[in-house]
Amino acid sequence: MRWLRHPAFYWLVSIGLGAVFVYASFAKIAHPQDFVRIVYRYRLAGPTAGLGVVPANVLAVVLPWIEGVTGVLLITGLWRREAAALAGGMLVTFLAAVSYVLWQGIDVAHCGCFTVGGEGRGAGWALIASDLALLGAALYVVVVRPPEAAPVSASDPLPAGR
Amino acid sequence: MPLRPLRIVSILACAAVLGLCWNGLSGRGFALTQNAYLQEGDVEVGAPEARTRLDQGALFLDARPIAFYEMSHIPGALPLPEDDFDRSFAKIEPRLRSSFDIVVYCSGFGCEASHLVARKLRERGIPAIVLAEGWPAWTDAGYPVKEGPRP
Repeated sequence: MRWLRHPAFYWLVSIGLGAVFVYASFAKIAHPQDFVRIVYRYRLAGPTAGLGVVPANVLAVVLPWIEGVTGVLLITGLWRREAAALAGGMLVTFLAAVSYVLWQGIDVAHCGCFTVGGEGRGAGWALIASDLALLGAALYVVVVRPPEAAPVSASDPLPAGR
Repeated sequence: MPLRPLRIVSILACAAVLGLCWNGLSGRGFALTQNAYLQEGDVEVGAPEARTRLDQGALFLDARPIAFYEMSHIPGALPLPEDDFDRSFAKIEPRLRSSFDIVVYCSGFGCEASHLVARKLRERGIPAIVLAEGWPAWTDAGYPVKEGPRP
């Protein structure tokens, strides 16, 4: 299992996960009025009599940017583990939302994962499986770290012949 | 090295600022305090106002899928499901054109069908308003419902 700690594999997973999140944010950022309708259909953040419309509207406006910023950080490597933790948190939330609509029998018609218009992917078991796979990737980036080059101590003797 | 929560909070704050700025400045955004289903020309009334209109003879239209209508509906309402609009509209068009007060409702909170049906009616020259928050608002208020397939 040493390959799991290989830097190239670690970077590949991190960049791949980041690319998925950046791609997922594009359509939602470009068409917020379509995305907010999908958020409404989940009935988790509202609109309801108690919550009103503001939480769902704010979620629809902010969530795509959390995805986008998280994706960029995963790709660039800046604050990579924190970004991966945030990606994991989002995926747990998505899993809870999809499980909820499946449990309640709510037909959201369009999961709002990568596109927001036209014929979209529904919320079903295949979506849960792909979210679990992405969650595994996020946890890997958080937990597993590739071995770094051993720091050279000032007290270490110089190699022979130098 | 442990995760730094402050970084996670910073990412969230940065995304929130970007999202709110984009919504306000891009020209693609929407009002955060308003139901996104509402468009220019849409008129909504609350359940008490709708009840008053029902008592005064308003025609109610059920925009939900027909199976929901057949389970229960507002007394006197006619089915006009958004997913089968053209066929259902043709059946009841004379009745619609002779009604001056039409209220459309659907399943409430995540449902846009009533707004879509009201807009389609307006495009055909038939004014219609929407019951805000739809069926749940009506039943939560304890107003009468009728079970069964016929109005």
